[in-house]
Amino acid sequence: MADEQDLLLPIANVGRIMKQILPPNAKVSKEAKETVQECVSEFVKFVTGEASDKCRKENRRTVTGDDICWALSALGLDNHAEAIVRYLHKVQNEVDSTRTKSGASDYKCIQAGKQTETPTPLLLFKVTDQNGSSSFTKLS
Amino acid sequence: MRQAGMYSGILNGGMSGRTGPHLLPLARIKKIMKRSGEDVKMISGEAPIIFSKACELFIEELTQRSWKVTLQGKRRTLHKEDVASAVIATDVFDFLVNVVSESGANSEDTPVVMER
Repeated sequence: MADEQDLLLPIANVGRIMKQILPPNAKVSKEAKETVQECVSEFVKFVTGEASDKCRKENRRTVTGDDICWALSALGLDNHAEAIVRYLHKVQNEVDSTRTKSGASDYKCIQAGKQTETPTPLLLFKVTDQNGSSSFTKLS
Repeated sequence: MRQAGMYSGILNGGMSGRTGPHLLPLARIKKIMKRSGEDVKMISGEAPIIFSKACELFIEELTQRSWKVTLQGKRRTLHKEDVASAVIATDVFDFLVNVVSESGANSEDTPVVMER
């Protein structure tokens, strides 16, 4: 069915990615490639479903790259989260170069094992002395 | 703010050169994403790009795990049964169990009618 075929990524592309990770003398049966094709489609649907649920709960209409990264982490499929997040940053940096956009996305949930310094807002602590005058001290 | 203009080149062919050529067609990925549920209405331009990388890494991991099974059987051809074994042996691939068992049901083995 043409409809079913639309739901799969091209077998040639899938096969190429499989070959590039295997040793040169390895062979892959056609059925194995077809099975991996189906697995990839299920992977996309599964992760998208999770990301979409999050958007719905947060009353957002658009599934973003951040949501995908979050879903990958939430589903335990984030073995390569760092590589994917680096890729996302690369994509976003290329967007940023053409339009000014402040505020990086928060990847704390993915970078749990690697504590990077995310910029935190300055906390100003109001100090009132005995004379009644007050000043602001920066909380470092 | 519409991002279609910025990403149309990437979405259509993936050969815009901005983020490099993609190994997987972004339009197809987007189509699969839309099929995942009724409430998936809007997808940002970067989501399919992220998926193209995630899928590539997913395929690599699944293939590596399957190949280990192939080697254990002292073979050099990766079969779908090896993929099935890898899926069953990996907890985070639980969502794929139905996919590989359906594939197995279509094999040359005589179909067994399960009465429940």
